[in-house]
Order: sequence, then C-alpha cells, then structure tokens
Amino acid sequence: MPIVEVRSLSYTYPGSVRPTLSDINISVEEGEFILLTGPSGCGKTTLCRCLNGLIPNSYGGEFTGKVIVDGLVTTEHPVYEIAQHVGLVFQNPENELFCTSVEREVAFGPENLALPREEIRKRVEESLAMVGISHLRDKSPEELSGGEQQKVAIAALLAMKPKILVLDEPTANLDPASAQSVLNTLLKLNEESGVTMILVEHRLEMVAHMADRCAILNEGRLVLVGEPEDVLYSDEAEAIGIGIPKVVQVAKNLGINKINGKRPLTSWSLADLLRM
Amino acid sequence: MKAFSFEYKRGTTIIHKLDPRSKFIYTILFTALTVYFVNPLILFLVFLSSVPMVIIAGIGKRWLRSIRGSLFFIAFIFIFNLVGNFWTTGSIADAIIMSISMSLRFIALISIFSAFFLTTSPEDLTQSMVQLKIPYDYALTFNMAMRFVPTLSREAQIIMDAQRSRGLELEKGNIFQRVKNYIPVLIPLIISSFRRAELVADAMESRAFGANKRRTSLYVLTMDRRDLLFISCSLAAFLAILSLKIMLGIQ
Repeated sequence: MPIVEVRSLSYTYPGSVRPTLSDINISVEEGEFILLTGPSGCGKTTLCRCLNGLIPNSYGGEFTGKVIVDGLVTTEHPVYEIAQHVGLVFQNPENELFCTSVEREVAFGPENLALPREEIRKRVEESLAMVGISHLRDKSPEELSGGEQQKVAIAALLAMKPKILVLDEPTANLDPASAQSVLNTLLKLNEESGVTMILVEHRLEMVAHMADRCAILNEGRLVLVGEPEDVLYSDEAEAIGIGIPKVVQVAKNLGINKINGKRPLTSWSLADLLRM
Repeated sequence: MKAFSFEYKRGTTIIHKLDPRSKFIYTILFTALTVYFVNPLILFLVFLSSVPMVIIAGIGKRWLRSIRGSLFFIAFIFIFNLVGNFWTTGSIADAIIMSISMSLRFIALISIFSAFFLTTSPEDLTQSMVQLKIPYDYALTFNMAMRFVPTLSREAQIIMDAQRSRGLELEKGNIFQRVKNYIPVLIPLIISSFRRAELVADAMESRAFGANKRRTSLYVLTMDRRDLLFISCSLAAFLAILSLKIMLGIQ
C-alpha cells in the first residue's frame, strides 16, 4: 500500500479564480525518494502544503479530490496530527526557526505533543545525531550558516518521528557547498533510516541521481512522472524549460542516448560511459 | 533602531542563570520605588542598585548603549520639567531639582529594565510566564515579538536601501515631511511582515503547534539558593530605601 496517495486533487486558493492545482494523481511507496520539479509558480509549494494538510485545513479554498498520507485522509485530521506523519521543510529557514537555541528548536515539536520530558530529551538527541549536528545544540540558530539552519529545521521535524519528509526547495537560499551537504543528509536519511522523501528542487544536477522517481509539475498539472533518466531525457521536459542538467544536454548532443541501456545523470557516469 | 537595544545575548554569569522570576521581583520592587519617590538622592540610589547586576553580568557596553540611546528623551524630560515647574512654582532651584529627579527616574527605569532584558532569554521569560500560569499562547506571542525584532529591523534596512536606490530621499524636508517620507518604507514592511507571519504560522503548525492544551517543556525553571539570596538582597535594599522615608521623612 502506498504511503502517500494523491487522487484527482484540484485546488483553488480563496479569492483566486484559476485553480493552482488541477487533477493531480500520484502515489508514493514507503522509502521512495521522489524529486519534484517544475517552473516557478507551477504549484509546487501548494502541493507541498496539501501533503501535510495545511491545505485545506488552514488555508480554506476550493479543495477537491483526496490526499492520503500514512493512512490519514488530510481533510479529516488536524494539521498537528498529520505533522507526526509528514514533516514539511520550508524554503527560508529564517521563518521556520524561532527559538534561541538549536536544542529548544528541536524540542518544540515534541513539547507540543506533550510527551514526557525524558522522551523529549531522547528524541532531541536522536534527531540531532541523525542529521549530524549534535555539536551545534547550544548554538543560536541565528549564528549558523544557511545550510546548518536547514539541518536544524530537518532535525526539528525528525523529532516528531515522521515517516515522510516533504521539502519545499530547501536549498533555494544556500550556496552550492551547503546545498550539497543538505542534500547528502537527505540521501542518508532516506537510505539509512528509510524516511520517504518528497523533494522539491531546482538543482537537478545535484539530485537527479539520488531520486528513485522524478515528477514534473507545470501550470498546476503533473505532466511527467517516471525514472529520473526517462523524465529528464524526454523532449517534454526540455520544452517545459526546467533546468535540465548539463550532463543530459551533453549526452543528448553527443547522441549517446542509451548506451548499454544506460543514460548518464552525473558527470562521472558520463565520463565512465565515454571511456568504455 | 539602536535606541533601547534590549536584545538578549547568551551569557553564563550568575545573573544570567538566575530564575527570571527572581529578577522580575527585583524589577517590580525597584520600579515601584522609582514611582514612589521624587527625591533625587533616593532615585540615584535606585539607579545604583542596578549597577552591580550590570557589572556582574558583564553587559556594560550594551547597558551604556541603552542609556545613551535614551539621552534624547532624558533631555526632553529635563527641559519639559524645568519649564513646567518654573512656571508653576516660580522657583528656579525647585525647578532644577525636580527636573533632575524626573530625569533620574527615567534613567533608573531604563537601567533596571535593561538589566532585566539583557540577561534574560526570551524563552526563559516565556517559560516563567507559563509557570506563573499565564496561558502559553500569550507567553509565546511575547516570545515571538522579541524574536522577530532584529529580523524586522534588518528587513526595514533592506527596504530603505531599495527605496533609496530608486531615488527616495528620507532625510529631506521638515519634520512632517520626513515622517511622510517613511511611508514608502512602512507599507512594504507591513505587508512583508504579514506574509512572514503567515509563513511562521505554517511552520509552527507543521510542528504540531496546538496539539495539546498542556504542553511539556524540556526545561523547567527552578529557584535555588542563589535565587533566594538575590531575592533577599533585593528585598533588604528595597526595605532599607523605604525606611529612609519613615525615619527621615524623605519623599
């Protein structure tokens, strides 16, 4: 049974005439790593908000279809309940961190759940360790780099033990090195702890090879879903104008579309193919 | 933006580690004294009471900045009282003493509150409010307000830069004109604050805010021997100053 199921979801924000999302259908298996991309304003953020119930629970608007996450129908459960199953990481860490120390930040979620103090302490330790930022526990989030801040935000969600993490362009405000570090953390969480990942990202160069599947959203519709190489090598993807990785363009121009049934998504796999 | 820089920075001194409630007791007692007395000597003593705290906590620089930031108000209070009292009493000596008292009262208040806010983390304050049975929602609102002050001031700076680079002259004209000049800064600032508030609310909800009426907190504030000592000292100083009135009849 899929852990995330979106069935003919359409959504229009209150006061808006045109729907932001139209007839979205996708299901995600437990432990999958999904890469979601698409041009600005195509509805990616809106879809993220649908996945943890912020839409429609906090936003209102016209919501049709069904979103089921970890067995919960989002329209039938409050956000705080869904939050224990789906963690949502936002674009700008400045707006998602509001405590004066990393430890307090991570404790905020479990505190809201009114867990016993020992359990909170245990979860804080575990989450910090999972993301590899135990050494930052006493720092103030303001003193940290953007990448470290995003890791704090991720740890703060892990403390609620969600099975699914949805990340809405978590690297948008980061330099390439920090972005890479955050993305590696996500891959590690996915591979070692089995957290299902739904990652919205523009930096396809960095993430395409990590994902199990890639989905492209355009003008509120899910236009392509499939293996990253199938999607990124397709002509449709090029026509939509997403940041097709340079490797893919080079490979396409070289005409090495499918050598031994393999198509490269990273520069080193391209290099390997060329050496053969 | 620099005036009243009550922004907390973490510290490890005894004063920082005191329970906010102990510091709050001191603040209340000595605020009461500043309101009760008009004698400049007493007001000076009240002001002095905050100095050891400032020194022990090592916050001298920022404390001085708060006081320096309020110099304009102090000058205003002094002149206003001088003119007003001379008008009503006709004695220049009385008027000067009264003006000094009123200025000292203001300085003492700034000093006492600086000592409190500069050494108390917003979260400890929130936690102590919760432990004083103030509903968490109100306590958190206060905490958030403190947290986003620097963020907003940074944003205001960015908007000012942006508007200046489009030709807005903030320092032009008389005082009314200048206030008007700030409208193109204020409107974007207000709108972006509303947007930010929504995003922060999303982030909080996504972390199960509101799941339970009673939430646990990782830290619990407890009063220890140091707090008792601090409260006793505050109380003793308070009573000593108050007794001056009874024994010497100082007002």
